[in-house]
Amino acid sequence: MTPRAPMLAPPRIGVIGADVPRQLLLAVGATPVRVFGSWVGPVSVAAAELPGAVDAVAARLLDTLLAGEHRDLAGLVICNDSTAHLRLFYVLRILAARGRVPYPVHLVDAPRGGGPARERFVARQYERLAAFVVSLTGMPLEPAGLGAAAERELRLGDALARLRERRRSGRCSGPAALVAYRAAATLPPEDAAAVVDAAEGAAAGAPVFVTGSAHPDAAAYEEIERAGLRVVGEDHDTGDAAWIGDAVQAADPDAVIRLLAARHAARPPLAARSLAAERAAELGRRLDATAASGVIALARELDDGPAWDVPAQRRVAEARRLPFVARLRIGPDAALAEARDAAGALVRSLPQGALT
Amino acid sequence: MSDRLAAAVAVTRYQKEWFSRTAARSRAGEQIAIVNADVPHEILRALDIPYVVTQWWSSIIAAKQAGPVAMERVAARGLPDFSLQYDAMPLGEQDLPRDARPWGGLPAPAFAIAERSGDVTQKIFEQWGERPGTETFLLSRTAADPVPERWWELVPHEWETAFGTDRLDLLQAEIEEMIAWLEHRTRRRLDRERLAEIMRLGNEHAEWNRRTRDLVATARPTPVTVNDTMPAVMVPQWHRGTQWAVDAARALHDEVADRVARGQGVCPGERRRLMWIGRGLWSDLAMYQRFQDEFGAVFVWSMYLAIAADGYQRFGDDPVRALAARFVGITDQLYVPPWSSDWYLKEALSHDVDGVVHLVADDTPGGGFITEALEGAGIPVLEIRANNADARSTGAARIPERIADFLRTRVPGRA
Repeated sequence: MTPRAPMLAPPRIGVIGADVPRQLLLAVGATPVRVFGSWVGPVSVAAAELPGAVDAVAARLLDTLLAGEHRDLAGLVICNDSTAHLRLFYVLRILAARGRVPYPVHLVDAPRGGGPARERFVARQYERLAAFVVSLTGMPLEPAGLGAAAERELRLGDALARLRERRRSGRCSGPAALVAYRAAATLPPEDAAAVVDAAEGAAAGAPVFVTGSAHPDAAAYEEIERAGLRVVGEDHDTGDAAWIGDAVQAADPDAVIRLLAARHAARPPLAARSLAAERAAELGRRLDATAASGVIALARELDDGPAWDVPAQRRVAEARRLPFVARLRIGPDAALAEARDAAGALVRSLPQGALT
Repeated sequence: MSDRLAAAVAVTRYQKEWFSRTAARSRAGEQIAIVNADVPHEILRALDIPYVVTQWWSSIIAAKQAGPVAMERVAARGLPDFSLQYDAMPLGEQDLPRDARPWGGLPAPAFAIAERSGDVTQKIFEQWGERPGTETFLLSRTAADPVPERWWELVPHEWETAFGTDRLDLLQAEIEEMIAWLEHRTRRRLDRERLAEIMRLGNEHAEWNRRTRDLVATARPTPVTVNDTMPAVMVPQWHRGTQWAVDAARALHDEVADRVARGQGVCPGERRRLMWIGRGLWSDLAMYQRFQDEFGAVFVWSMYLAIAADGYQRFGDDPVRALAARFVGITDQLYVPPWSSDWYLKEALSHDVDGVVHLVADDTPGGGFITEALEGAGIPVLEIRANNADARSTGAARIPERIADFLRTRVPGRA
């Protein structure tokens, strides 16, 4: 594509999913802005039918795009990191060609599994991504820009590390942490770091770990914490498993891209594209790191990946004598009630005195 | 039924005998594989590893009314019984008591091979690898990007353009990994000349299917029912790369050609030509002929013959790369618009259909774009949303009643 003329304000590039190496977008003067759905709200017939069977959060996300809520985006990058997101890409590719969405749409297809063949493919995908974002901002991908982007992103990573430490030590609640992650995913790194560092406040209750579907907002966490629990960590990509705050330093753009592809292969396993054994092993590591006293798994209807992880995850929790409560196939309007119900069940299974 | 195609009857009988022989070989100690439909079976054939296709085996389990109990066994392991049932059902079948297993049951396979499509397939096949004596191999499933125009003209020879070099490079490399993985476990060596011959046979097989499809497109009256072409095409597909499969495809063609030459039709008083888009309605195959008497309406098209005609031919000097080209976009062709919508429209026009019944599966994106393309060309479409394999779902969708109403109100009969 021919590069466009440089814009005056930093262009915002929308992101659906979690496989985008943000450093590449920052390096060409753009701000990556993750676009989220919601746990609650109506779903239109078009959003329910056009992509085929996708969970309600993905359908609501499509609704926001069709309603023009993100018209300011310079472009939209969609990750093939779940069936739902891939289907959104297939639909939005056609709608973008028709002018129904006012920005170009680009796919990042980054398979998991590791190994040289997949890393080569992912590197090629990142090269294509770089070409796409260069076409949007008009700024070339150069070593100086990549280096500066790395520094900005790594500083945000430092802030997120501090956030995780505050969560573990009871100085930041789960909902506040999710809000901070959302800021990190949508704001320029400096603004995001300020929000992340401000996310604190006493958090009481027994520490719990949340697995299952990603959380587009903090509504379910608020229900969990109202029950007397404290969410100290999670393995979904809108929380601790978001790919934010990571960057690499290398002499030239090709080397940066190769290193980013290798980093992608080493990321924590996400439910939609990983094996249950990988997910269970990761849960074990995270339970040990967070000293959680129990696990809540919440999986939405039509987001079936997490449901297949549950037996192996349950074994990991039970091997540590930790209670594991799962609520699967959560319907479009049932998220908050199911979160409340799961939290109540977990509280009842904790030893007396664990909540204090 | 006297009008049944001999070719359909013959392949169905053969498949049962083949399964019996394969199961016996496995019980005698031979390594067999369970594989998904979308993985490159040709490698297994070239290595002389018998394989059973998950989706076919699930159809047998379901037809023998063992689907619900098989899914109960899946649930008994704490796994979902509501998710991708057609992939998961054979897992549960392994745990059924011997007298409840269809055709004596599938012996434990040594190898389970699938692509990482969707969010769940890799986890189902991971479960196979947890079972004693079975190991799992997974291939990547990359997305349908780029989008070529008129893919059906490109894919036999210009597949590099159709699918893109990056996607082909990855799958070719993964097929090589799979070859090494199998060679190590079987202590065999892949004979690449044999693989090339298997690819040649597969292309010849597809050529007979193309000729059959073209015959059906132009024949008046319609010479075959889709109920017959479905098994007559699909059983040989599971034996792709053999002379038997080529001969079966040729026998189907010759039988159809004979009917055409004799002017034999399956629907006396044919006045409406219909297209069935979507998976076969396995729970009620007789439905396809239910509208012949009252409406003179005959289903002339299903995807099974058509994709066998357009979707598999790949010519090239390097059999592994050509094989990668056969499978890298196999699901794109059927299920991803605009790949799918462009092709369905082409097929609707070439078959001169008067109406389309579109069974919209919830596991495929953009069904509305297919309907839109057809209606934009003046072809009326009835959209039905139901699970093809679940009698409860299709019953609730009132499919026969809605098709009858569609025919009455939107599909005028020809003079």
